[in-house]
Amino acid sequence: MSLMELEYQPPGLWSSVWRLLKLRALIFFSSFRRAKTRGKIAIIFIVLLVLGFLGFLLFASWALLGFLRSPQLAQFSGDMSALVNSVPVLIVGGAFLGILLTSFGVLLQALYLAGDMDFLLSAPISIRAVFITKLLQAILPNFGLISIFALPVLYGLGISSRYNLLYYPLVIIMLASLALAAAGLSSLLVMFIVRLFPAKRVAEVLGFIGALASFICSQSGQLANFDHVTQDQTTQMFSLLSRFNNPWSPLAWAGRGLIDIGEGRWLSGVGFSLLTLGLAAVIFSLALTTSERLYYSGWASIRTTAHKKKVLRPSRNRAASPFVALAERRVPAVIRAVIVKDYLVLRRDLRNMSQLVTPLIFGIVYAVMFLRNGGQPSLGRGEAPALFNEVLKNIFVYGNVGISLFVGWMLLARLGGMGFSQEGKSYWLLKSAPVTASQLVLSKFLVAFLPTLALGWAFLLAISLLQQVNLSVILFTVPVVALSIAGNAGLNLTFGITGANMIWEDPRQMQKGSSGCLGSLASFIYLPLSLLLFFGPELLFALLGLPEFIGQLTGLLLGGVFSLAVAIIPLWLVRNRVLHLDEK
Amino acid sequence: MATTIPLIETQGLSKRYGEKAAVESVSFQVHGGEIFGFLGPNGAGKTTTIKMIVGLLQPTGGLVKVAGYDVQKQPLQAKAATGYVPDEPNLYPKLTARELLRFVGDLYGLDRARVDHRSEELLRLFDLVSAGDDVIDSYSHGMQQKTALAAGLLHDPKVLVLDEPTVGLDPKSARLIKDILRQIADRGAAVFLSTHILEIAERMCDRIGIINRGRLIAVGTMDELRAMGKGETSLEDIFLDLTGGAEYAEIAEVLA
Repeated sequence: MSLMELEYQPPGLWSSVWRLLKLRALIFFSSFRRAKTRGKIAIIFIVLLVLGFLGFLLFASWALLGFLRSPQLAQFSGDMSALVNSVPVLIVGGAFLGILLTSFGVLLQALYLAGDMDFLLSAPISIRAVFITKLLQAILPNFGLISIFALPVLYGLGISSRYNLLYYPLVIIMLASLALAAAGLSSLLVMFIVRLFPAKRVAEVLGFIGALASFICSQSGQLANFDHVTQDQTTQMFSLLSRFNNPWSPLAWAGRGLIDIGEGRWLSGVGFSLLTLGLAAVIFSLALTTSERLYYSGWASIRTTAHKKKVLRPSRNRAASPFVALAERRVPAVIRAVIVKDYLVLRRDLRNMSQLVTPLIFGIVYAVMFLRNGGQPSLGRGEAPALFNEVLKNIFVYGNVGISLFVGWMLLARLGGMGFSQEGKSYWLLKSAPVTASQLVLSKFLVAFLPTLALGWAFLLAISLLQQVNLSVILFTVPVVALSIAGNAGLNLTFGITGANMIWEDPRQMQKGSSGCLGSLASFIYLPLSLLLFFGPELLFALLGLPEFIGQLTGLLLGGVFSLAVAIIPLWLVRNRVLHLDEK
Repeated sequence: MATTIPLIETQGLSKRYGEKAAVESVSFQVHGGEIFGFLGPNGAGKTTTIKMIVGLLQPTGGLVKVAGYDVQKQPLQAKAATGYVPDEPNLYPKLTARELLRFVGDLYGLDRARVDHRSEELLRLFDLVSAGDDVIDSYSHGMQQKTALAAGLLHDPKVLVLDEPTVGLDPKSARLIKDILRQIADRGAAVFLSTHILEIAERMCDRIGIINRGRLIAVGTMDELRAMGKGETSLEDIFLDLTGGAEYAEIAEVLA
């Protein structure tokens, strides 16, 4: 009997979904089984850590929310029950918005950029099944992450408020249905955007914006001044939070339903809950049916890549630039070629840009913090010995160097630590060309060193000018920063060579294994040592009443020799490895 | 036509990964003016051999000479004489074809004016002029393959090594490549190519080497290979006979 003679029975929707999900689970468990013992232990440890965190958060929420409802607290700060009652509204509403925003990128990847789409679409499975599976697969990690924070707090609230038992399963049902609705809306948005812009470009822009936004959010706290928050401001903030608990806002229905059912107000509780579940079901089915059409036609017609014409600068401009002309005369063509190529690649891939902009923002944040205090150390109650205060003042004169090197340290982790990894699968072009190991290492060193030096000097000079630092100090710190960055660049590049990872699809996957971490640690040890050698003699000379100028020269000599040794020796030792990278 | 100077020479070339031998004691010569076809089943060691010839992999034993230079001892001279086109055209996705060719020109120490002139020639030849300023990321597989070929030909190499050069190309481009390879060989260069398409090997190659399980099991012209076999006339039959493809008959029976 031939295969064609067998009568084909198409599988049902949920049977297909189940099979596809089973396949995902199989891949996950099989990767876990095949992982190294070290990896398995790490995963088990993380799971235990998460469970411990869940338990801690549950008990902390239980205690805190119980405390907020206590009559004793009410005597001092007024009735807080309005705020406590708005907790489920805030959490469930936040979870919905969180999944709506975060699932956009994941869905874009899962629906348009995953490698298995051709295979799945050509298999005899309904598109709807593929869509549901992709949706579930995409939102599960975000849903899991949000649940880790949301569930313990909501359960803590339930226990502290003695809510009835129905509340607990309903919390999970509400969160899950809202997550599905949010993902449905997000998927529609993905399909709409992808019809206008190439999926790959959208992913790049999204990665850049996402990384930048999360970084700015995390660092904005550093600039905020929490020392002078008044009681009125706190009360206003609490009242603002309570305002989200509005019965006319669909985002509040789920939370209100949970509280009402928990507190036994059945009519309003069931009403709000059914309203929420019904709305979520409508949104999800609407997304499902619309997507079924859009997804297929969208997938069949989209371009995943951009076909944008690049406008080249006229070549006479390049020739006219004296800097370019000098570089062309002095720098060997091979080294120049690698440097130009690397800067073009780094500049054009927005996914790299987020890693490169981070040090700049960090630098600005810490420079503002440093300058806000007038660049002077806090002397406390002034009870410290005069000698200690003098040393501290001298050290603070060089705070600008600290910030410059800190910015450089972060930038070098990317430019140096991943200098070779960024070649990725294209490394064969360099490896099969007549280029020596030393030329390659020198090019990559310059790729890391030059922009870091420019940024480090820019911060140093800007802070020095704002602080109105003496010219002698500037003249001393300029070579210090250059030499220190050179050592750090050599160190990062060395670890980048020993732990190079050439197999990646997304630049964010470049850093693999422990070499990046070891490189940062080595820099962490190197930087204080080099600073001690650069500034130690000057501080010592100042304390002993000897000329500071001689101290600075001694420091430059000691620190310079040390930094150059760190820049050159490790690279010299590993240079031949670059010719054997990517050999399995 | 082929000269007596071997431009590619391997002697006892071997590559082991731990206990596993990927290539074992492979010896052959390719002369100037010759197109040498390298055939073998999947996983036979074709790409590993090629990577050792172009200096991407370090052999665990034996010797490779390209244009008379030992690839291990005089890698720069050997690489300068070689043009390489891999099976997967992994190029820098964020560079344009023109920028890539300029970059490759600098790596091979070519004069900028010559690079620009030659780049335009090659882009025209491969029908990439209008896409020359687009980033490679936006190219189809075939366009990327043609860009990799242009990069491999930019410095006018004495030895051209190609791993599956016609995969992903449309018939017009595949034909163009076949013509280019013939012209390059006629100008005295050695062309070494691996392929799964036996028709290409049979019609284009002056000599053919067949590798199986890491060992070179046959080398020669089509006539020499025919003489080695059991009276088969087509390269397909000779190939299946030498590499143990008799089991395919069973598969055909199952599918029938």
